[in-house]
Amino acid sequence: MTAQTPARRAPRRPKPPPGSRRYGPVRIVGMAVVWLFTAFNLLLLYWLVAASFKTPIEIFQQPFGLPLHWFQLGNPMRNYLYAWNEAGFGHAFVVTVLLVGAAAVSVVAVGAPAAYALSRLGVRGHGPLTSFFAIGMGVPFQTVIIPLFVAFSKIDLTNSLFGLYLLYVALSLPFTVFLLTGFFRSLPTELEEQAAIDGASPVRTFVRVMLPLAQGGLVTALIINAIGLWNETLLAIVFLQENAKFTLSRALFTFYGAAQYQSEYGGLIAGVAIVVLPMLVMYIVLARRIIGGLTLGAGK
Amino acid sequence: MATVTLKGATRFYAGQHTPAVDALDLEVADGEFLVLVGPSGCGKSTTLRMVAGLEGVDEGGIAIGDRDVTDLPPKDRDIAMVFQNYALYPHMTVRENIGFHLRIRREPKALIAERTAEAAQLLDLTEVLDRKPAQLSGGQRQRVAMGRAIVRRPQVFLLDEPLSNLDAKLRVQTRTQIAALQREFAVTTLYVTHDQVEAMTMGDRVAVMNGGVLQQCATPPEIFARPVNLFVASFIGSPAINLLNASAADDTVRGPGFELRLTRAQASSLTGTDVVVGLRPEAWTVGEPGTGVDATIEVVEELGSDQYIYCSTVGGADDPIAVDPSLGMPAADTGLPRPLTVRTQGMAPYARGQRVGLRPDSASAHLFDANTGLRLED
Repeated sequence: MTAQTPARRAPRRPKPPPGSRRYGPVRIVGMAVVWLFTAFNLLLLYWLVAASFKTPIEIFQQPFGLPLHWFQLGNPMRNYLYAWNEAGFGHAFVVTVLLVGAAAVSVVAVGAPAAYALSRLGVRGHGPLTSFFAIGMGVPFQTVIIPLFVAFSKIDLTNSLFGLYLLYVALSLPFTVFLLTGFFRSLPTELEEQAAIDGASPVRTFVRVMLPLAQGGLVTALIINAIGLWNETLLAIVFLQENAKFTLSRALFTFYGAAQYQSEYGGLIAGVAIVVLPMLVMYIVLARRIIGGLTLGAGK
Repeated sequence: MATVTLKGATRFYAGQHTPAVDALDLEVADGEFLVLVGPSGCGKSTTLRMVAGLEGVDEGGIAIGDRDVTDLPPKDRDIAMVFQNYALYPHMTVRENIGFHLRIRREPKALIAERTAEAAQLLDLTEVLDRKPAQLSGGQRQRVAMGRAIVRRPQVFLLDEPLSNLDAKLRVQTRTQIAALQREFAVTTLYVTHDQVEAMTMGDRVAVMNGGVLQQCATPPEIFARPVNLFVASFIGSPAINLLNASAADDTVRGPGFELRLTRAQASSLTGTDVVVGLRPEAWTVGEPGTGVDATIEVVEELGSDQYIYCSTVGGADDPIAVDPSLGMPAADTGLPRPLTVRTQGMAPYARGQRVGLRPDSASAHLFDANTGLRLED
């Protein structure tokens, strides 16, 4: 006869260290604030998504109710179709994806070698040069819009997507270089030394050894830039004049002006959703990576 | 295969006027295993990095074989290096790590595969060739780093504290393994460590450094038996040697419980009357109180095969004064009891608080000039 020994099971929640209170006053207040903030944002998000399926009357009379009318008519996507087709969001979406994609990739492609050289190669004057880039972060771009516009109009780059692309790349470089400098600095020096002993040239060391290691930082830089540029509105308003070249945020701005008079609030909110939701999804999917990348290089 | 020659090699670090390595002259013979040992900051790693070409040489020069490599970049020196943290490329598999150099050299694929397989076989890495470094144990990572050095078939191996990240047991195993590998390949090897046991057990010769200056370079028995100065005497040997102050008169050194005749050479090289007598823990016999130096046992360390007893000596005129080994010069009198370390047989019946008499074996005493810190050669 064998004795039945009950299988051992770990407690569902391991015991906290002695002396730590699970419900201290700071913790309770903190939790309350976090939950209120989260609830407020979720409500806002719900309102946005719900309203994007409503008629203007529904939006004003039942702001927090579920959308009904367009569903009853069997045309639930009506607002989105309107925004996409009538308000030119479809075209703007394609323009934005291409422009933002190209700009974000270019920023990282230029910023990574720059950051590597500044942080690791012992380039002459790397200190002042790094500070120079840091200063760039401190200058709000709004303050230089007018001189930029004047300069760009002289070389015929206003009302041009290429011009806007150049601006996006240039204005995003300081932050990107700054972020990646910290990132490269945190990588161990022995790997470069080992690569030197292995006979790798500096370019090869950068491409084959350091870039793969910096992958996390590069992806973070790419995502942060993509989100920032996707939402960018002011430069697009100032520098673009033709409908065919409008980016999403620019198109939304125009649509907003028109929709007020047409009471096309459903379509307008659907437009907002088209602008906001892709980035929100991207953020949710990649959030861990972004936060990890931002704090990397901070320690050690 | 090649010799490594350092001639007056000097290295300054920015903003520091004392050189990290000061006019180092060192000749490593073809196929020799030379260990550089010393406390941290003594310049041993800097020396190794100068040979590797990772540090510039401010004065003097370095030659590998007949080639002056002082100004050659690392890749043209035909050396392989193993770093303390191994510096494995984390995004490459073991196979790619080992073959990276050969790939850069554009060796044919078949040769790379063959050499990699050979090294993996030798180091017992065949099973893990397709893993990344993060999936390996500490010992395996260490072996990958060794493998990366071996596949190159270089003229010189440079090893920078390659065992310090391993646990004690693995360190002893790997120590033997590395020494055996080196004998097998007969590649000239410079090995840096701060661990004197590694130094004494692995090297054909040991070079002891302190403050950027080479103190002594000799075979392990020579270093142990005839340390050239107080620093080497106190650095090599575990537990450390006991250093006692004594004075010389009429060609005789008188210390607590012993008298030593100075040879003519010793007497003539002595610059004053003060002498430091070095007596290793094993150079004492423990007896009844009243014989030799009176002492009280403070700590007993039982190792099984040996026992170390740490004794405080009773103050008085013939009180032995231990000297501060880090400076190699007599320490100021702090008024604290001065410990003497004595090795006795394992399982000996000594206990804390017991009073004993310690008799030194004067034949195994090392004599040093207290003014210069140099050995008095007989």
